[in-house]
Order: sequence, then C-alpha cells, then structure tokens
Amino acid sequence: MRVVIAEDHALLRDGLVRLLSAHGFEVVEAVEDGPSALTSLIGHRPDVAVVDVRLPPTFSNEGLVAAIEARRQVPGLPILVLSQYVESLYARELLSDGIGGVGYLLKDRVMDVSQFVDAVRRVAGGGTVMDPEFISQLLVKRAADEPLSRLTPREREVLALIAEGRSNAAVAAGLFVSEKAISKHIANIFMKLDLPPSEDDNRRVMAVLAYLNSRTALR
Amino acid sequence: MVIRALSNEPCSASLVSSFPPLPLKTSASATLSDVDITPLSGTSEGVTLGVCSHVRDFHNSVVTEVFAQRDELLCQMRVLSSDVVDPSVSTQTRRRRHVSDWISNLSNALANSGWPRTARWRITNFGLVLGLAVTVAWAVTGAGYFWAGWVWLGMVVPFALLRTVRRALRTQGPRPLAVHGAVSLVLGATGIFVWLLSGLRYFWPMWLMIGLAVAFSTHAWVVPLFSSDREQALHQRVDVLTRSRREALDVQEAELRRLERDLHDGAQAQLVSLGMNLGMADDLLDTDPVEARRLIIEARTGAADALADLRSLVRGIYPPVLADRGLDGAIQALVLAAAIPVQASIDLPDARLSPPVESSVYFAVAEALTNVVKHSGAKSAWIQVRYRDGMLTATVRDDGLGGADPTRGTGLGGIERRLSAFDGTLDIYSPLGGPTTIYMEVPCEL
Repeated sequence: MRVVIAEDHALLRDGLVRLLSAHGFEVVEAVEDGPSALTSLIGHRPDVAVVDVRLPPTFSNEGLVAAIEARRQVPGLPILVLSQYVESLYARELLSDGIGGVGYLLKDRVMDVSQFVDAVRRVAGGGTVMDPEFISQLLVKRAADEPLSRLTPREREVLALIAEGRSNAAVAAGLFVSEKAISKHIANIFMKLDLPPSEDDNRRVMAVLAYLNSRTALR
Repeated sequence: MVIRALSNEPCSASLVSSFPPLPLKTSASATLSDVDITPLSGTSEGVTLGVCSHVRDFHNSVVTEVFAQRDELLCQMRVLSSDVVDPSVSTQTRRRRHVSDWISNLSNALANSGWPRTARWRITNFGLVLGLAVTVAWAVTGAGYFWAGWVWLGMVVPFALLRTVRRALRTQGPRPLAVHGAVSLVLGATGIFVWLLSGLRYFWPMWLMIGLAVAFSTHAWVVPLFSSDREQALHQRVDVLTRSRREALDVQEAELRRLERDLHDGAQAQLVSLGMNLGMADDLLDTDPVEARRLIIEARTGAADALADLRSLVRGIYPPVLADRGLDGAIQALVLAAAIPVQASIDLPDARLSPPVESSVYFAVAEALTNVVKHSGAKSAWIQVRYRDGMLTATVRDDGLGGADPTRGTGLGGIERRLSAFDGTLDIYSPLGGPTTIYMEVPCEL
C-alpha cells in the first residue's frame, strides 16, 4: 500500500515512516510543509496519506487546507489527518464533501500502534475514522440536547463506535453482542435522530455530522 | 527640555533616578537634538570628560528611551484627549482649547528658548564681571549713592524671570497658574529691591505684594472653577487607565501562576513517572518480561494523559483554532462544541483583528457561553459578533432563567477585567426569570 506522509517534526516524521514501513506500507514520500504536501498528494495519488494539520510555512492549518484541496482535485483521495487537538470545525470541513476515505485523529493515537495502523487501513479502504475524543465531545457535550438524550446509553456507545468508522461486526465484537443486535441499535439511533437509516459506514458518520450541522446554523 | 532640567545638576549617578516627572503638556516634537548635555563634558562645573563619558553614554541611552516613551505617551494622551472630549461640546470649550493650545505653544517656545548652556554661562559670567566692575567703579568714585544697584537690578530681573518661569513650566499642575506665580514672585522681589535702592522710605512694595497676592489667589481660585471638561476627563481617563493596566497585569500574573502550577503538577509529573516506568521496564526486560510489558503499557497511558493535560492547557493559553482561523472560526468552533444548540451570526472583516483583542473577546464569549450552559438552564443560545466602525461587539443571549450577577463568582468579573485592558466594556441584562443578554464591546482598529 503506497502512502504519503506530511509531518514537519522530524522525529515524528521518521517515526511514522518507520512505523508504517514496519506494517507493510510503502512510504513513497515524506514531506514537511503544506505546499509540498499538496504537490505530493496530487502527484503520487497514494493509496492513503497521513497529514499533520499544522505545517509550515504558516504553522496554522496548512495540512488540513492541503488535504481538503487535494480531495477537491482528486475526490475520495484517502487522507488521515493527525492533529495535537481535535476541533469539530475541522472535522466538519473534512467530511463536508460527503465522500469517505477520510480520518481525523489525535496524534496521541499513534502510541497505540495496532489501532493506528488499523485506522490508516480503514481510511485507505474508503472508511471514515473520527477520533474517539471528537465523538465523545459530540456525545457528552450534547447530552443535554434533546434528540441525543433520547438515546439509551447502549445506543450512545454504538453511535460512538460507528462514528469511529467501525463496521457492524467490529462494533458487535467490541460490545460482546450479536451483529443483528447492533443493526437494530443503529436503526433505532437513526430513527431517534430523525435520520434515514443506512448500512453504509461513511453515511453513518455523515449522519452524525448532519445531525451536528442541523443544530448549528452558522451565519 | 526635560533633559536640560537634568543637565542643570552636576554629573552624578543619582541623576538617573532623580528624573523630574515628565510634564504632560509638552511638545511632542522634541527630539534628541534638543538634548543638551554639554555641561557633562564641559569644564565649567569642574567635571572631567574621562570620569563622565560612560555616565554620559548611559545618560544618552536613558535620554533616548525617556524621549521615546514621553513622545509615545504624549501621542496617546493627544489621542485620548481628542477621544474623551465629545466633539459636540460647546464652542466655548473649543475656544478654550484653542487658547490653551496657544498658551501651551507659547510656553513651549519659552521653555525651549534658553541658550545652549555654555552660552548661558558666558552671559552669566559677563553679567557677574559687569556687576563687579560697576560696583568697583561705584566704590572708586566715592561710594556715594549706590547707583550700581540699578545695574544689578537690570541684570538680575530678566535672569530671575527666565529662571523662575522656566522652572514653573516644568510643573505638573496647571501651567498658567505656575507661570503667574513665578512672575508675581519676581515682580514682588523686584519691588522690594527697588524700595531698597530708593532709600528705604515708606514701604510701598506692600501694596504691590498685596495686589499680586490678590491677583494670584483669584487666579488660583478661578482655575479649578473653569478647569476644562477636557482636563477632568483626562484625569478620569488616567485613573481608568491606571486601574485597568494594573488589573490586566494582575490577570496576567495569575494566569502565569496557574500555568506554572498546571505544568508542574500535570505534564511534568507525568513525564517523570513515565520515565521512571520506562527505566524500570528496561531493568526488568530480561528477568521479568511480563512485568516489563505492564510497565511499558503504563508508560504509554501516562504519555497519553500527559498529552491530554498539555492539550487542555494549550487551549487555555491560546486556542489553536483561534491561531489558525481567527475569531470567526474560533467562535464557530465554540458553537459546535457547545452543549446546547447555539445560533451564531458572525460578521467580521476578512483582515485579522489584533490578536490580543481577538483572544480576549474569544475567551469572553467562551466564558459567557459556559455560564449559559452551566447556570442559566437555557435550552438554546444566540451569539452575535460583528465589527463596525472600529468597534467589535459580541452579544450572547440565552432563553434561561436570568439572574446572572457579575459580582458573584469570578467568571464575568474576569471577562470584564480582560476586556477593560482594551477599553472594552461588558453589560449584563439578566432579570430574574430571564432571559440573559451579555453585551460586550471593544474598540479595535484593523
């Protein structure tokens, strides 16, 4: 699997290269700033890219901007965005094109190597991976919110797991219940959130975000 | 002018600390070329160049600094004084301002009119020599009527007038009054001198002195009556600035302490324990791999905790999204993260506002929103942020229970202090039973 890495910290960049190479990825290029990230993403069209949000030259959200621009030019280009912090605003922007193959994780997640590699693979496979912290922000902070408060604790667990991009089977395994039970939970969640049911991984995360967007009319 | 006052003194280290207070109403156009430090290198005061050259260098730097600060202060005061006075104030005030400007210009001209010190010294020496010469002539010619006294008088009066008026101009109080006092003093003294010279008859200078005293006290009594709105406004302004500056510094100090404590108790401690765990794991790797593995996993958890701690700390210092996206994006992020549905209407210019203002308004809105969620029991909230004509306004409204009181708790008070550093204001309308509206306003140029 061909991968492009954009990370400005040399230590982290080398670590990512080593980590991904060790797990069977072929790192075609590792760049350290926003413009070259975009060039590399468009040029190589890798199977998956791991991009840091904050990159030179401006050290603001260059990486995110490059990722979004690359996905605008190459729709569906799988990109996993890493960041020191999770910002709902950025998640929404990343997901706004409605196409899967996108991830947004805290850098901390790199420490759990197998989970991280798994996340990279899921993004490469067209899945959507959101950081658990983002999901919990969404769920915990909105607990007071009416539609979400209609969910049972179990349904919230399920929602959190599917928003992380896990398949029904994975969710079922994680919660030690049958896949059929999970399907039922998901159907209930969509019903309670007034969202049309769907089996598709990405559309499920999109549903969470659609819900988020529906409650916050901006401008 | 300030520096001339300084150079009247002999060279000594105490000069630096005994800077005369900066007069507020001086010309902002003073430059370093006005600085007259010749006596320091001259010999007239018996000071040698060698001893003083390093002190002079130091003086020069201090002088430059003081001038820069004073010019800046003056500029600010000018701006302030034009700000605080409503332009629609009566024409009388305006006319008075013209008059006072004129007086101020005149006094500046006078204050700056002194000759260079060396020249002044030459003239003083010439005066002394002349005075001695006529006194000797008077003595030689029989020491009759002391006509030489009139020569002395002619020389001393202008000199005394110049000295006292110049000194009076350096006052912190009202200048016209000080100059009036100085002139009265010299006139009174001259009267006595003339009385002495003219034969010690009837003490007529008494009437002169009474007249001068009456005129001066009338002036002193009238000045506060007519002390312009502008002056009072300036005084109030200085008070406000002094207070808000102190408060801003206090807030900053408290923030730094909190940061230090958080880092010390949080990330630092976690990294220490992490390192310890890794060290122990290293020792156990061969003998007890299972325990070593457990320690490594523990270390990883510790690292994750440390990161989480640092992340929340960083958010508190300067939210990354604010750095990335400015106030607009940061407030949208707040809205997204809020626990209740929030509607935001944001109308900001494309250009970034000044970062400190952005950050204070961001934290103010964040705090207001936190209060809404925590205390108001509101179901939803509205935020409106806009920039119009150099004024940044933010309104946070909810449909909660009301009764917010800025005097209780530190949250709203903190916002107020934070905003006041930028001349911002905070208004709370929160009747019992609600709803609450918090209105913030910060003047801010692009």
